[in-house]
Amino acid sequence: MRDVDVSFDGSPVLRSLSLSLERGGRLGILGPAAGGKSVLLKLLVGLVAPDDGAVHILGTDISRGKEKTLMRVRRDVGMLFQNYALFDFMTVGENVAFPLARLGETEEGEIAERVSLRLRAVGLAGSETKMPSELSGGMKKRVGIARATIARPALLLYDEPTAGLDPVTTSKMYELIAADQAETGCTVLAVSSDVGALCGFSTELALMHEGRIRYRGPSEAIGDSNDALVRQFVSGKDEGPL
Amino acid sequence: MSLTTHIEALGSKAAGAGRAGSRLAIIAAKSMSGVFARDSPKGEVARQMYIVGNKSVLFIAITMGFLGMVMVIQSGGQINRVTGDLSQLGPQFLKLFIQEFAPTITALMLATRVGAGIAAEVGSMKVTEQIDALRLSGITPTSYLIAPRLIACLFMGFVLTVIAIVIAFSAGGVSAWGVFGLNPTVFFDSSMVRSYDIAIGSIKTICYSTAIPIISGYCGLEARGGSEGVGTATTSAVIGSSFAVLLLDFIISGIGLTIFGGGV
Repeated sequence: MRDVDVSFDGSPVLRSLSLSLERGGRLGILGPAAGGKSVLLKLLVGLVAPDDGAVHILGTDISRGKEKTLMRVRRDVGMLFQNYALFDFMTVGENVAFPLARLGETEEGEIAERVSLRLRAVGLAGSETKMPSELSGGMKKRVGIARATIARPALLLYDEPTAGLDPVTTSKMYELIAADQAETGCTVLAVSSDVGALCGFSTELALMHEGRIRYRGPSEAIGDSNDALVRQFVSGKDEGPL
Repeated sequence: MSLTTHIEALGSKAAGAGRAGSRLAIIAAKSMSGVFARDSPKGEVARQMYIVGNKSVLFIAITMGFLGMVMVIQSGGQINRVTGDLSQLGPQFLKLFIQEFAPTITALMLATRVGAGIAAEVGSMKVTEQIDALRLSGITPTSYLIAPRLIACLFMGFVLTVIAIVIAFSAGGVSAWGVFGLNPTVFFDSSMVRSYDIAIGSIKTICYSTAIPIISGYCGLEARGGSEGVGTATTSAVIGSSFAVLLLDFIISGIGLTIFGGGV
């Protein structure tokens, strides 16, 4: 994306934002709350339209927001939403199967098998018949990950993939995401406020604040950034520009 | 505050209302085309019919029963004071209920019960990003969520209106017999009902049943924030749907009166 501006009700959320990621790459985006991270992910799948600038996803320009183009691009994208976004009128199994069923290219028996495998991978084997209301926040997050990955999309977007999860499950989740990527070769963009977990997951990090990228570079060098705001966020100290 | 600021604020509000109107029109068009797209989940229309129809029937039956009784007692008392001839009470009551009261009161009750439900359901899906998840899966939310509710409201709106007429007329007849001693054969007389009355009542029912799910769905899709946003959407849906019902009532009655002279 190049020079993208997004505003809601006149308030700028993303300001002249430019960001690129190669196919098969992995990027972790850090930043304080309300910095525009979730909006950035939604922009990448056309759920939010840019006021200005160009957005290209998997080689397709989606800036103009044409419905047919967006539909085509979205077939190759999986996303874990910040609030899980599980359909509360469907069972866990139906939720996970949903992207595959919508594509209409897989037989029902195979869908059921893949749902079962995905749920086992996220540690929720046998939960197919449960309703989302019966699950804890962490379990919902894991179902969301299973749903996002089941169709093996070319681009995976994770919005706070481990928020609400304990440290052990957090590292397991990132291991799972990394294993999935190694298997399918997909591109992964993960957004989180969890500095430690994201540093361990991605060798390249970006830090967003007030709609701008303040840092982009190796994860091991983020603590040595020249930007005091970046250093404060990473160190978690009370004093500083944040 | 200067005059320029006032004018600017007014202009901004007008522009906002214009944008909201155009979004509502788009959602209405997409919802109506969604009826033919058959994009909704299997069995959803039947489930919505149950919610709109079965779960509203007792509420509507009780309200219309009491309304029928009160109207007969009030109007019968007035007639008794003026002429004392109650022979036209039943026929005029039925005509008025078919053309005006049954469709409008039923729609107002659906606006509060069903409209609020639609806005709350769609609104909570919006604030929990379920609508975004649907869109990401290549689904148009209007086809998936609003279209089945529109079909259900159209069908069950008719059914509930007919039930409302039957119950109000029956309750009115019983009251007329109990309070004024009016012979039921005199009250239960449909000779005053013209095809015009049935046509106007049907047109109103169709328009109301279309407006309620679309306005309520629109309010739900516009919900922002958390539970407060859902609450605001629900309130807006009830107010908007009720207002639309009354406005449509006025327009349809006015057109009927102007073009067909009220069917007289």
